[in-house]
Parts: sequence; structure tokens; C-alpha cells
Amino acid sequence: MSDQAVMRADNLARHYRVSRGLLRGHALVKALNGVSFELQAGRTLAVVGESGCGKSTLARQLALIEAPSSGSLFIEGRATTGAAAHKLLRTRVQMVFQNPYASLNPRKTIAQTLAEPLLINQPALNKLDRRERVLQMIEQVGLRPEHAARYPHMFSGGQRQRVAVARAMMLRPAVLVADEPTSALDVSIQAQILNLLLDLQQASGTAYVFISHNLALVEHVAHDVMVMYLGSAVEQGPKAQVLGSPLHPYTLALLSAVPALNDSQRRQRVLLRGEAPSPLAPPAGCAFHTRCPLVLPRCRVEVPLLRQVGGRKVACHVVAG
Amino acid sequence: MSPEETARRAPAGALPGLSNPAPDATLLEVRGLRVNFGGFTAVDGVDLEVKPGELLAVVGESGSGKSVAMLALMGLIDAPGVVHADALRFEGQDLLTLKPRQRRALVGKRIAMVFQDALNSLNPSHTVGNQVREVLRVHLGLRGAALERRVLELFDRVEIPAARSRLAHYPHQMSGGMNQRVMIAMAIACQPRLLLADEPTTALDVTIQAQVMDLLLRLQRDHGMALLLITHDLAVVAEMARQVPHRVSVMYAGQVVETGRAENLFQRPRHPYTAALLAALPEHNRGAARLAALPGVVPGRWDRPAGCLLSPRCAIVQDRCRQQRPPLLDGVRCHFPLPAGDV
Repeated sequence: MSDQAVMRADNLARHYRVSRGLLRGHALVKALNGVSFELQAGRTLAVVGESGCGKSTLARQLALIEAPSSGSLFIEGRATTGAAAHKLLRTRVQMVFQNPYASLNPRKTIAQTLAEPLLINQPALNKLDRRERVLQMIEQVGLRPEHAARYPHMFSGGQRQRVAVARAMMLRPAVLVADEPTSALDVSIQAQILNLLLDLQQASGTAYVFISHNLALVEHVAHDVMVMYLGSAVEQGPKAQVLGSPLHPYTLALLSAVPALNDSQRRQRVLLRGEAPSPLAPPAGCAFHTRCPLVLPRCRVEVPLLRQVGGRKVACHVVAG
Repeated sequence: MSPEETARRAPAGALPGLSNPAPDATLLEVRGLRVNFGGFTAVDGVDLEVKPGELLAVVGESGSGKSVAMLALMGLIDAPGVVHADALRFEGQDLLTLKPRQRRALVGKRIAMVFQDALNSLNPSHTVGNQVREVLRVHLGLRGAALERRVLELFDRVEIPAARSRLAHYPHQMSGGMNQRVMIAMAIACQPRLLLADEPTTALDVTIQAQVMDLLLRLQRDHGMALLLITHDLAVVAEMARQVPHRVSVMYAGQVVETGRAENLFQRPRHPYTAALLAALPEHNRGAARLAALPGVVPGRWDRPAGCLLSPRCAIVQDRCRQQRPPLLDGVRCHFPLPAGDV
């Protein structure tokens, strides 16, 4: 299995030192606390969680924007440590950001934006070929050739996100990390962008890491799902198991909080009390115990480990395995 | 009849409030609301009606004019925006002819508003406690111990834990959900008859979103307050319909395209836009390889079609739609509405 994996994360962690003022020492925020997964070509891993759960920190590690504090990441079987490997592998992972209004350079035309990855990474390519590749990609993401000469401000949010996707796909990456790619868009536009991502995946076989807080979306695009809470995975495995028959009480609560359109889709409602604790002062024991409806005395002292239950992994003392 | 002949300008300032003293069953009446920004009509003839204690959801995508319409109701449209309306009445009082002083006495007291982004809507340099106190001081004249009691009571009511210690916090020290609760506390401080909530849960996480929605509905029920909820999220409205029966108005490009009872609208949408919006939700596409997407975007200032505003994106468009703008008839603005059927 692991030979075919285009991306493998082993116990990936990222801690930040944050200042607490002049006289007090630094505090350590464990934004990402040991996450492991394997991703095969052409498949989509969805990372789900609320704000502050570390999903965007994970995205930055996977896209090699930051180096992890500990743990290791392999892309196409190669470790990402070392300058040479890092430089090479950076082109194999690309990223699409949440806000298409902030992630495009306003002073560059679409053609310039799309040509830049080629200019840097494939300098041997001549101008005509480059132009050809840019126009091909513009068409592939559903824009028109005349859009090439335009600037980002001339586009709607949905079109900008198409440009962002095009830019990410220019180097034909092995993995595309999409951090909430549609949460700034309207429902009807969101559907367009999702369809585009699905089409591109089918055509190119690129693996996706799809980060989202929207479970309905995740249910639509994912093959595998990882549910995160306060920097750790609480449940991960194939979509049918994790979302179809969730075991972890947090997954259950997340699913039940999703507004349902009709009664047949409705789940038993588990309204969580309170909010996620600050990662600056995580609770002892299970991170979720402060909000968990099924909490046991053991949960308050002992951190549950992620263990195999059937085809998935769950970190919970309550779940029998 | 041009709109100018029938409309009055707001803020008028000159005319004294020609309020209608007759008791009216309608709490808020909006007819032919039109908001112009230098030639661009952001809101184009919107009719809304809210009865006391009623819940009305206004649904639309960005650019549909839903937020601008609400700002117009609150008198918050600044130049160069111009507000016209055939009627804009709250409790029988004409909102268009109110003097600024009268408006300030009304807004925040009888009509209150909750905005989307609580962190940006609260004042960053005052504690949240002081911001709620200000409302109570200005509108109700509360002072001293009575003021403190009421502030704590409000914080409890919106379920802010450890309310007493939270009073001294600044907005940046609180989470998004807590700030939204502070906003709601400010809004309900004077027990308004009407609460306008503009995307109150959009910036929040799903679990927090469910909490805040539950809170709003509970407050609406307990206070007998009318709630006008503006949202882009059809799923939220559908979820709400299960708890409270209500009406929904769907807006598109500045117009109401469909209005009706929530149950009917979700089971059998009559306007192709409503149908397409519902179809585009991932929840409706379980097992499908692709989502049913509505092509194109909401028309902007320069590309408003001559006929029906949806005609360039509509799946069942016909020649007549491209030439002639349909009127709102029987709750739906379409020449060829989808088959009706009461559920």
C-alpha cells in the first residue's frame, strides 16, 4: 500500500511558541499534535473540524509552507527533509486557498499568474509553449481565452477561484491541498467549483487533501475522512464508515449539527454545550471531555489513543473496540 | 406611473411623521422598496410583510440585494444610495419620513439588528459589558444597580457562561460565538418587536451555529418578537422550518422571485431559481458524481438582461423570458412557473 501512496504523514506535529507579554515566558501552542495518514493517487482525503482544530496548520505542513516540529512527511515515497528534496517536492504539492480575493496578485494578469509557476520551475520551456500551456489550462478550468489578459478584480469570486485552481494545477502536482476552497462562495457557485475539482481529479489523477468544515460537502467529495479536534484526529477512515456510522461522540455531534433539508436526512440531534477549549490551555485527558455528552471519569485524566476499530481509527475511551 | 411620482425620498427630514394611528395587524410593511446607487438598482421593488411574533426568512445569494434591503429598513443607507418605497411602515409609523432623532429612538429599541460579523460590529475599545450597558442607558434610562441587574440578566439569557467575569472582557478576548451572543444581548436588551438578523450564524462553526440558531428561535418564541432572518443558507432555513413554521422570500438580483410557506417552498419550489438553488446543495446530491450547478453568476451592474433577470442562467428559459420581465404573481415571479402543489 504505502509504495503507491503519493503522500504519507507520520505523526506530523507542529507547535508554535507564542508570546504572552514582556515578563512572562513563551507559551507553547500545540496546533497540530501528531497526525498520520496515507493518500493514494486520484483519491481525496477530507479533513473536517471546527476553527482552531489545526486543519489549516495541517494544510501548511502538507504544502511544505512550514516545516513540522516533529514527525515526517513523504511525498511520492521521498522524505521532505533536506533542501534538495524540499525544492523538488514543493512543485509536487500545490495549494488552493479559501479566499480568492486575497490569494491572487492584483497586479498580475491571469496569464502572468498562471505562467509564473512554469517560469520558475520549467525555465527551459519557450514562450510559445508556455502560452500554449496557459491557454490550455484556462480552458480546462472553464474560463475563456480572452480572460487571459484580464486582472483579478475583473472577475467574480467563483471565477477567481477557478484561476486559483488553474494556478495550482499548472505544474500537474501529485497532491492538491484545498483549504476551504468554496466557503467564500455562494451555493450555486460552490457547486460549479466542486464539479471543476472533481473533473480535474478524474482527468489528472491528482490526489486531493480537502479541508472543510462543511460535512455535506465532504460527504460529496471525499473518499476518506479525518475528523480533527484540537490538533488531533479523533476519527479517521473511509467515508462510508466515518460519516455513515460515526463512532466518536464528536463526529456524531458534528454530523447532527449539519442542517438537514428533509426528515429522511435528519439525525438525532446532539447539541454540544460550550465551545472548543483554547489550544493554549488544552484540558487534561481527552481534549473533548469538556463538551462530551458521554464523558467518563477516565476521560478526564487519560488521553485516548487512536486505535483501529473495524476499518477506521477512533480515539475514544467510550467506544468499545 | 414612474417610481418618482409615488415614492418619497429618505431620509426626508422636512416632513413630520405622518404616522397612521389606526391599529394595524402588520408589524412591518414594505411595498415597492427600491434602493439606487448612482444608477444601479440594488433593490428593485421588494415587498415584505411581517406580522407580530412572526418569522420571515429572506434567502438569496450575494448580490441579491437582501442585505441592502435590510439596511434600508434600518435607515442605514448613506449617500449616494437613495431609498424609495411606496410604503415603508413599522407599527403603522412611516419610516421614510422619520426625522433622524425619531429614527434613533426607534432603531435599537423597537427594531433591533444582529449583523453577520460580530467582531467587526462590536466596538473594539469598549468592554462588551459597557456596550450592552450603553443600549440600556440610552433607550431605557437605566442606571446603577438596576442597570447591572439587567445586563447580567441579558448575558444569562443569551447563555454566556460566567457572565459576571465576561462583562469586563473586550471583544478580541472572546470567541466568535460569544461575540455573536453579546450582539444578540444588545439587540434584545429593549425587548424589540422586530429583530433583523443578517446572516447571524454564517461566520460561526457548525456546532456553534446550531447553538446560536436555537437561541434566536427560543428568544423569538419567549418574547413574542418578530424575526426577520436574512441568510444565503437554504439548509439553515429548512432546518428552522422543522422547528417553527414560517414564510420564506427568495431574492435574486434585487427582486423577490418567490415567496411562500417554508414547507411548500422546499418540497415544491415553483421558481426555477429556487429549484436550482436547492438542487445545488450537496445534501441533495447524495451519491451523484457531480453537483447540479447553476451556470453563470448573478448579473451585475452592466449585464442586467432586458427580460427576466434569471433568463441567462435559467434551465427552462423561453423567448418570452428574454424579452419581458415577469411580475410577481401568486408568490412567484416567473412566466413559466413549475407546477404548484400544496403539500
